[in-house]
Amino acid sequence: MEQSPTTRRIDGWRWSGRLFLTFLLGFTVMPMAWMFITSLKTGFAAMQYPPQWWPAEPTLENYWRLIDPSSSVGQDFLHYFWNSMWVSTLTTVLAVAVAVPAAYAFSRFRFPGRNFLFFAVLLRNMFPAVVFLVPLFILMKVLGLVNTHGSLVLTYLTFGLPLAIWLLKGFYDNIPIQLEQAARIDGATRFQAFFLIVMPLSTPGIIATSIYSFIGAWNEYIYAYTFLTKHDQMTLPVGIQRFFSENATDWPGLMAATFLMSVPVVVLFLVLQRYFVRALTEGAVKH
Amino acid sequence: MSTAQGQAIFRDVPASPPKKPHIGQRAWQARADYLYVAPAILVMLIVIAYPIYYTIELSFFNTPANLQLSQKQWTGLSNYTAILSSPVFWKVTWQTLVWTVLSTFFAFVLGLGAALSLHREFVGRAFLRGLLLVPWVVSAVAASYVWKWLYHSDFGAISAMLTAAGLIDKPINFVDNTQTSLYALIVVNIWKEFSFAMIMLMAGLQTVPEQLLRAAQVDGASPWQRFWHVTFPHLSGVSTVTVLLLVVQNFNSFIIPFIMTGGGPVGSTQIWITHIYELAFLRQRWGLGAAYAVLLFLIMMTLGYFYVRALTRGDESRAG
Amino acid sequence: MAEVVLKDVVKSYGSIYAVNHVSLKVEDGEFVALVGPSGCGKTTTLNLVAGLIPLTRGEIWIGDREVSGLDPKDRDIAMVFQNYALYPNKSVYKNLAFPLQMRRLGRAEIDSKVQAAAKVLDITHLLERKPRELSGGQQQRVALGRALVRDPRAFLMDEPLSNLDAKLRVQMRSEIKRFHQDMKATVIYVTHDQLEAVTMADKMAVMNGGFLQQYDSPANVFANPVNMFVASFIGSPAMSLIPLEAGSDGGTTVLRSPEGWSFALDGRNAAKVAKAKGKRVVLGARHSTVRLLPNAEPGTVPGKVYTVEPTGDVTFAQVFVSGALVNVSLPPTYAIRPDETVNVLFDQARMHLFDGETEMALTA
Repeated sequence: MEQSPTTRRIDGWRWSGRLFLTFLLGFTVMPMAWMFITSLKTGFAAMQYPPQWWPAEPTLENYWRLIDPSSSVGQDFLHYFWNSMWVSTLTTVLAVAVAVPAAYAFSRFRFPGRNFLFFAVLLRNMFPAVVFLVPLFILMKVLGLVNTHGSLVLTYLTFGLPLAIWLLKGFYDNIPIQLEQAARIDGATRFQAFFLIVMPLSTPGIIATSIYSFIGAWNEYIYAYTFLTKHDQMTLPVGIQRFFSENATDWPGLMAATFLMSVPVVVLFLVLQRYFVRALTEGAVKH
Repeated sequence: MSTAQGQAIFRDVPASPPKKPHIGQRAWQARADYLYVAPAILVMLIVIAYPIYYTIELSFFNTPANLQLSQKQWTGLSNYTAILSSPVFWKVTWQTLVWTVLSTFFAFVLGLGAALSLHREFVGRAFLRGLLLVPWVVSAVAASYVWKWLYHSDFGAISAMLTAAGLIDKPINFVDNTQTSLYALIVVNIWKEFSFAMIMLMAGLQTVPEQLLRAAQVDGASPWQRFWHVTFPHLSGVSTVTVLLLVVQNFNSFIIPFIMTGGGPVGSTQIWITHIYELAFLRQRWGLGAAYAVLLFLIMMTLGYFYVRALTRGDESRAG
Repeated sequence: MAEVVLKDVVKSYGSIYAVNHVSLKVEDGEFVALVGPSGCGKTTTLNLVAGLIPLTRGEIWIGDREVSGLDPKDRDIAMVFQNYALYPNKSVYKNLAFPLQMRRLGRAEIDSKVQAAAKVLDITHLLERKPRELSGGQQQRVALGRALVRDPRAFLMDEPLSNLDAKLRVQMRSEIKRFHQDMKATVIYVTHDQLEAVTMADKMAVMNGGFLQQYDSPANVFANPVNMFVASFIGSPAMSLIPLEAGSDGGTTVLRSPEGWSFALDGRNAAKVAKAKGKRVVLGARHSTVRLLPNAEPGTVPGKVYTVEPTGDVTFAQVFVSGALVNVSLPPTYAIRPDETVNVLFDQARMHLFDGETEMALTA
């Protein structure tokens, strides 16, 4: 193949591809790099023009402050962090628990109204959070959930669920029904066939679904901003606003906080990336 | 179709089959199946059906700022006529269109380019893919703060880089300038979501049959011709879904403009959702906000119709 | 092992009948093939016996027990699937052990049964592998092993050989046959391949459009097909069917073509034709009962050669007779060329006659 007369043209394509990737990489990485670099500066070092491209005296001071439980900033930050962790984890567990049977049913059973319900569920993702904000706020008031994490979990479930059901359905669609039939003939009940045969096979799907739910909940801002007014309840995206004020924003502190806020989801994502990609391939593309 | 009465095993067959059971009857027979979806449906009902109903109701009333529902007044369509006759509506709608179209277009084009360049196997491909996906994974709140800092009017890194490259003499005020603010925010949005298009299209590329590409190569097609005649047609389904999802996502954007500019300066970055938020939560004009939401709802339903159609096309062809 | 009885079994989806009033009895230890083209209802029938889909009407008995409403697990049957349906995340050993675990057997007992089954099927060296690490033939053996590891009352097999290549298929065919004889097992075997059915089964049930067409030994089905569908489905190459018209020529019954030629029928065939509802009669002839003669003789009809296919020991020719293609087998030395005009002679003693209206076989 390398000796073919088209080699030169293919090379041209390959090189323009590399050039494009390099540009894209710069575009992607530059803001993240700048976030990190700024977080290593003192407040004074950050406020210079032209900026120091690398801090003259790099410091981890901003990070120590955030994770120091004895300082008031640290206390708050750790509090927000655990609130975020708790809300996201609970949302993920519930979303998977509810989505697994639903996705399985949508994949396997042909009950009247199946298509309608399935697309009604999917359509949830077409609506912006703001549309639901007022009525949900009132609903949460009625349920006595305002200023509780329950209000967030319940809300996050509704936008986590459609995606979770959709992704998991893609996985179940790809598991041959004969496996369950074989299990039932081998002496398993429907329930056992599901739990002993189908569930283990859909583990990658469940992992992918969990990442989606977790990241979605971790990053959510609008509902958390509206439903939670008490400081000790706030999650990270809302909480870190306190580093920001019009007059004297602590940019290095804010950058350190956004960095720490991004770490869990980015690490989670990078480690489990292949499940994520596979889920999209099976669910989104093959439908 | 032939029938036989040759052996003793045949019987008279009713000329017409019994009628298809009534839907209620079939639903009753399938009642166990509903148990599986019941929890999901229940959650969705509470948190979706009720708010939609409530929003529609609210849009026909004037409700006092304190949300005392008992004091609301029926105003008919006046909330809607107020919106449609207001110049702000048309300004915000235009900005929303610019925002949505530009964001979607560039996110899709960058995503497609990235997907094509990453399709070939090479060392470090998974790492690169992961790196490019990071903006999509981090929260929009974090992204907004980081870019706000990059765009900073006094200490911004972007101005500094442009100065260093000799393109400008003094720092540009990207965000606090009505001429540039919307476009500055669109760049952030593209940064945040192009990799979503990339990952969708990468998944789509895997469905392009290798044999077809080989056949095209044997037939003498250039790389560009192979892309245009083989690869791209295979991506049309995924592309439709991707573009639709991007359009929906961009139309519903909130966090980036809300945190970076709050819709300003002078409303130059106000788009539908931030506008609705401002009307409802900052100015307590609940009725107006709700009427906006209903209009948005109608737009989304239209998009949703195409979304479902794009999704079911694959479903039916497979079932058939 | 036990007998399996279907009594007037119906499976309908809305107004569509997948299985239409099928009754048949599989004797204890018998090998019955359900055969028919795709969509004929054979797999649905098998799934009904297995209990994987609910019955619309009728009864199914296994042994002395009616199982119509029972769960698959309570029917005490084993099944082999077309795609083998091996549990991909379990090793071969665990695949074989699964049916026994579900029946709560002790660990030692499970192990001895698994080892025994593995030995029978010569897969002992594969026990620790995962299904995806096995070849198609090995997967097939494991699937069989999972069926025979416990002692079910009947074996159901759904096209178990159709995913194998031709050579392996012939080999597994004889192994399954052997297995049936050794176990004296009751087997219901679904296939679309009539050759498989003919070679393996004690009896074959030919299905079409949800109806059971004929249920008899392969020899009888081959010799006396009840209707045109069965006649054309069983046998390879297929029986040739030529639509003709009954008439009389000076007192003898003749079959006449639209082109005008005719030939006389002997007494037995004339009696059959007399029972036809109308004048239209379809002549059926298997390739081995047709002869080509050099000269026109009484009883021969004109034909034109379409294709000639030498296969080595036999040469098959297709000849146009009155618009229908007739298969003829010839000795390999027979000199014949496409487009040649030939004289075709049908063997009166072995020809089949069908009523053109009802498509049913005509009997004397």
